[in-house]
Amino acid sequence: MTTLVTDNCHRCRFTECVAACPVSAFRAGEEMLFIDPDVCVDCGACIPKCPVQAIYEDLDLPEQLNAWIEINARRSKVMPKITKKESPYAGADDRKTSLGF
Amino acid sequence: MNQIVDEIQTFHGGCPHDCPDTCSMQFKVKGGKLIGVRGNPDHPITQGGLCVKLKDYEKRHYHPDRLLYPLKRTGPKGSKQFKRITWDEALDEISSKWKAIIETDGPRAIMPNSYLGNQGLVHGLNGGDAFFNRMGATVCERTFCGEGSCTAWLLTVGPTAGVDPESFCHSKYIVIWACNSVSTNLHHWRIISEAQKNGTKVVVVDSYASKTAKEADWHIAPKPGTDGALAMAMMNVIISEGLQDQDYIDNYTVGYAELAERAKTRTPEWAEEITGIPAEDIRKFAREYATTPPAAIRLGVALERSYGGSQAIRAVTCLPALIGAWRHVGGGALQFPVWEHPYKFDVISRPDLIPEGTPVVNNLQIGRVLTGEIQLETPIQSMMVWNTNPITQAPETDKIIKGLEREDLFLVVAEHFISDTAAYADILLPAAMGAEMEDMILSWGHLYLTYNTKCIEPPGEAKPNNEIFRQLAKRMGYEDENFKWSDSECLENYVDWNSPTCEGIDLAYMREHGFARLKAFGNKDVRARHAKGEFPTPTGKCHFLVEGAKNFVAGPFRQMYEGFQPGEDLDSLPDYLASRETPDTNPELAVKYPLNIISPKSHGFLNSCYANVAEKIKGQGEQFVLINELDAMARGVKEGDPVRVFNDRGAFYGIARISEDVNSGIIVATLGYWRQLNNGTVNCISSAEFGDMGHSTTFSDNLVEVSLA
Repeated sequence: MTTLVTDNCHRCRFTECVAACPVSAFRAGEEMLFIDPDVCVDCGACIPKCPVQAIYEDLDLPEQLNAWIEINARRSKVMPKITKKESPYAGADDRKTSLGF
Repeated sequence: MNQIVDEIQTFHGGCPHDCPDTCSMQFKVKGGKLIGVRGNPDHPITQGGLCVKLKDYEKRHYHPDRLLYPLKRTGPKGSKQFKRITWDEALDEISSKWKAIIETDGPRAIMPNSYLGNQGLVHGLNGGDAFFNRMGATVCERTFCGEGSCTAWLLTVGPTAGVDPESFCHSKYIVIWACNSVSTNLHHWRIISEAQKNGTKVVVVDSYASKTAKEADWHIAPKPGTDGALAMAMMNVIISEGLQDQDYIDNYTVGYAELAERAKTRTPEWAEEITGIPAEDIRKFAREYATTPPAAIRLGVALERSYGGSQAIRAVTCLPALIGAWRHVGGGALQFPVWEHPYKFDVISRPDLIPEGTPVVNNLQIGRVLTGEIQLETPIQSMMVWNTNPITQAPETDKIIKGLEREDLFLVVAEHFISDTAAYADILLPAAMGAEMEDMILSWGHLYLTYNTKCIEPPGEAKPNNEIFRQLAKRMGYEDENFKWSDSECLENYVDWNSPTCEGIDLAYMREHGFARLKAFGNKDVRARHAKGEFPTPTGKCHFLVEGAKNFVAGPFRQMYEGFQPGEDLDSLPDYLASRETPDTNPELAVKYPLNIISPKSHGFLNSCYANVAEKIKGQGEQFVLINELDAMARGVKEGDPVRVFNDRGAFYGIARISEDVNSGIIVATLGYWRQLNNGTVNCISSAEFGDMGHSTTFSDNLVEVSLA
């Protein structure tokens, strides 16, 4: 069981979730975030923080997003930790609107 | 806002589970259904997040196995064969059976058996005390978790809340001693983790590499049950190197000369032999701790789970006064802040109703009692169990089952599910769950009052615990006013709203805001509670030395009864007291059973709660046994092999996970798995012998052997 970031985060990176994580499980990709499944404790604190609903628990994951389980597991191992909120990706607000949020 | 969102109502909730965090949450209700829960974003401890257990709390409310109606046993005990009956039939049968028992053998043949399966003031630990005290039933002493720690703490520093858990943000050196915060105190971990990001050194003392130990800057792993030696050697280093705060000691402590004399021979080299920690590491630890103010210690419950566990806690509790840590904001030690909460336990439990001479049974030894191994003047003929599940939680499980199989035992259980224990009930009552009943939830981990709204109806015919006791009291003819109080009236009476710590807080305030910080605690950024001593002890000082100390169990864990306290003499000073079962202390037993076992809480379960929820089992994984490669090889065990863990008391089965998280000589198997879903449970192998104080458990003081299953 794990919690993971999916493609809605791509080019948004609002990073509200990062401050909610009690165990520093987020990793900073260039254009989106990932969660290290070996660090995440599944507390669920980050899920409601995401303004674009990019974060899911794997049990609730819509099937078309299944690939993100493996992507998070792999990418989180090579990207640096992110533990503090940062500025969103340029154009994040437009992207958020286009996603319907 | 669209219409669907408009229909969702939000109510204040309080997590009732046995956890120090006591989260304030928001219940989301739509059309009379609980549709979700969120951590309260305004609560300084909860900070908007819950945990892996509670994040989908609504699913536990609507679990397809919820008990909906009163049931009566129709098959053999434990067969789970029941038929539905009405509440009237159930309550009539219980009250008539009890009246008959009282008539022939007296009320002492009946006993309650409960614990902190619910932490509510009304429906929780002490909720049934008044009823059974009025009956004159045998008093149930309940010491699963932290009671030895309470005795040790109270003897040393008195009933103080200690350092504010939020003030840990100011600490520069944090020691988490025997607590897996990430799994069992997550919201305090969050504060510690923030401090760590800002440069605070976090040291975890734990016999295995827990999730928390892995996050630490330094993990120190003493052999199980040897923490007292480590703490005594730290004193030795502090005193011999002149690192103590002599001014603080002279003004605010008792018994320094005696303590220093004892610590003289407890050298790091002596402790290395016992703990397995290199003497140089012990020196480094003591020096860093003494010279990096503010230094704070988080005392975990697990520290007491060996024969000498409470002496170890006394030793650790002496450390902050020795170095003057209490002078600083964010310095000192944290045990259970519940001591300074304004709960009126005497009103809740009504110890004044207990007839003189009423005997006491400790529920860790319930197996021995029910099987007659412990002889009582009036043997137990009926027991009511609620808010606990002895078959998974209490030691010597096989004996408990034997006891519960007794045909002549009339067992009443109030539960949410047919738990391992409920399976043996003669009458099984469906209990209401969190969002279905009003309460305030006590906290043993923070400084806030927490309110819980009844915001949905219980399913089927389930009733809140307190309603069950109200109705039983009526049938038993108990006329006292308190048995007629509604849940709201109970809350009005159970909290000392007039105390200064409640200034500006009343039940109406709680209903509106959901939580309130107690006024006595002031500001986390400036408060140093014991900067000038002022310990709530008879002398006002921290007691290294306690003259004439006798063993006792704190009142709330024994229905506030003062009769038949353990009462044996205690050492006047802290020290290392060896475990009963380790290869070093009991080599003869270790020939048969060479491995020590630790049985911590499962990350995905809360004790046995959630261990019947498919998603949680999937997350937590099946029962596993962590074993070091050396020990595995010696037994021909490979990764993933099914293994049997056993000793003379019993056995359980699990899947071997070969891991460097445990040193050779130790295995780890987490607690909570249901016997009906597994082959045995961890506590099958646990001893029901008490620890050195407070009738604590000895879950970490057991030798076992492992073989291929």
